[in-house]
Amino acid sequence: MHSLSRRLLVSVSVPLALFFGVMMLVLDTGFRALSERSLRELLDAQMVALIAAAEPQPGAGYAPPAGDLASRLRTPGSGLYAQIRSAGGRSVWRSPSTAGAPIDFGGALDPGARSVRYTTTDHQRIAIESRGIQFEDAEGTWEFTFSVAASLTPYEQQLWRFRRQLFGWFIGLMLLLMVTLAGLLRWVLAPLRRMEREIHAVEAGRNEVLGGGYPRELSGVADNLNTLLVGERERVARYRDTLGNLAHSLKTPLAVMRAALSGVHPGAQDVIGPEIDRMSGIIEHQLSRAAASGGALLGQAPVDVAPVAAELRVALLKVYARKDLSIEIGVAAACQFIGDRTDLVELLGNLLDNACKWCRSTVRLTADIDANLATRGRLQITVEDDGPGISAENRARIGQRGVRTEESVPGHGIGLSMVQDTVELYRGSLLIDRSPLGGARFALRLPGREAQPAPN
Amino acid sequence: MRVLVIEDEQTLRETLKARLVDTGFSVDDASDGEEGLFAALELPLDVAIIDLGLPKLSGLEVIRRLRAKGRSFPVLILTARDRWQDKVEGLQAGADDYVSKPFQFEEVLARVQALLRRAGGWASPELSCDPIVLDTRAQTVRVQDVPVELTSFEYRILEHLMLRAGEVISKTELTERLYDEESERDSNVIEVLVGRLRRKLDPNDTLRPIETLRGRGYRLALARTATS
Repeated sequence: MHSLSRRLLVSVSVPLALFFGVMMLVLDTGFRALSERSLRELLDAQMVALIAAAEPQPGAGYAPPAGDLASRLRTPGSGLYAQIRSAGGRSVWRSPSTAGAPIDFGGALDPGARSVRYTTTDHQRIAIESRGIQFEDAEGTWEFTFSVAASLTPYEQQLWRFRRQLFGWFIGLMLLLMVTLAGLLRWVLAPLRRMEREIHAVEAGRNEVLGGGYPRELSGVADNLNTLLVGERERVARYRDTLGNLAHSLKTPLAVMRAALSGVHPGAQDVIGPEIDRMSGIIEHQLSRAAASGGALLGQAPVDVAPVAAELRVALLKVYARKDLSIEIGVAAACQFIGDRTDLVELLGNLLDNACKWCRSTVRLTADIDANLATRGRLQITVEDDGPGISAENRARIGQRGVRTEESVPGHGIGLSMVQDTVELYRGSLLIDRSPLGGARFALRLPGREAQPAPN
Repeated sequence: MRVLVIEDEQTLRETLKARLVDTGFSVDDASDGEEGLFAALELPLDVAIIDLGLPKLSGLEVIRRLRAKGRSFPVLILTARDRWQDKVEGLQAGADDYVSKPFQFEEVLARVQALLRRAGGWASPELSCDPIVLDTRAQTVRVQDVPVELTSFEYRILEHLMLRAGEVISKTELTERLYDEESERDSNVIEVLVGRLRRKLDPNDTLRPIETLRGRGYRLALARTATS
């Protein structure tokens, strides 16, 4: 029951089927009663005709003249039979149609008595009506039992034909109704489907907000959603701006203090200098932590990794111009990071900066999409260098939660702990090992996807 | 070497200026983006130190406009926002290096000197034009491995000539790079200083390290030596 249209279809079709079922039962019962009555009328009519036509025969017999018999009574196996019995139950006359049909018409009845019973002969059901009759003539009083029997087969066949027809019609009608209903639902639910599609587009970053033109019942929801989407993006932007300003306004006084320190007694310098550095470190660490959005905002387009890597490469080559190094970038063209661009720039910037700091001459960044993994870890990025590398012990310490990297591993500064934090926010993973180049290798797994060509 | 410092925080600006002057730079300063841009466009600078968070005109914008007007001297940015996004933007706008606040003066000095060397096509802090070796870190000069005592003005002239060894540098340019805006200028002083420098570097008049090109200026005539 995970779809609205399925719910509606089920909730409509179940009562409909129930209604049709009851209707069929009622019609069926009615039809059966009707055919039973017509059968009884037939038997009655035959009975009356037989009694009227029957005459005493020589030798205590009693029979209708052969010429007066209905044609069905004369034809063997016609389905209509008649018999006349004497008071002792002995058959005095049988209609020619009984030839070859051993029908048990029953015993003799008292004058005036009537009976109707059903029996099965030769695999066909037969209804038998019997009447006890008393005649008076010159020779005395005679008692006979008249029986007329009719095969039920034609009626049963008719009944089944009726049922088949009824069933066929109902099924047809039901299907027609369901198809109409489905069409109706499609039409009624179309705006919901559209909303679902547009939300997907927003999630995938193809659109920033939902479009307009929703029906009255949904336009409120769409508007609110849009307000939420835009508001959230603006909030994050404002938040980052504030954090940036905060960093600026906290660190500038620290810079002033640092600068003023040169005129102070050297003993005081040794105390205050490291404290200033510590404060600066804390500000940087906490603010960069807070600024990391740690997730894709809705409506935010996935970020192409290649341009970010290229930008950082140019920037770092400038910064490390004093060092004769080469930064090799191997990013698959379609690599996209599902998340915030600033976060990606920080992650790669810190890792590349660290690698540039420690390398002898080569830094390598590769990025690829592994479609076999869950989206959360699909983007694989490695940053490696040919420097001295990080010892296994220090690697383990960087990986520990809550350990301030800059304290645990001298030289691998705040940057790495920020990388660790951001990766955790994205529920990705960070693995540090030895690069084939000889130095450290940082392997990141982050939410990513392969770039899809724009729809339309 | 003439350096412009654009920084809105007064104490920081003044300390930076004082320390740079101590180190032998002629320093101009500005306290906001507009003033800074004006100074940077007007003055014959060797290097500029620009804070990114400036009032009136952001540091980023100052750098962009400087580069758009064809000013190619190296720019060092000071930034309190330690985000790579900001650094990348600054470097893309045309800055050459960055220093994060709070900084130690030595860090800024090292970066500035490295930028100046790079701008002159030198890779190491030791400028070597055999047999003269000038160490920009220690601000010492040796000729044939013998230390030579120079005054700060003499040193600055030699440093400038050596940084751009092979190029002709006019007397006006040398004067401008020796003095900041407020100082009185006297181009005769340069002739006197160059004369003293020649005698100190080449007492026997055998090396002739500094050429005079009549009406055009001076040139360091020794070939650059690749440093190990």
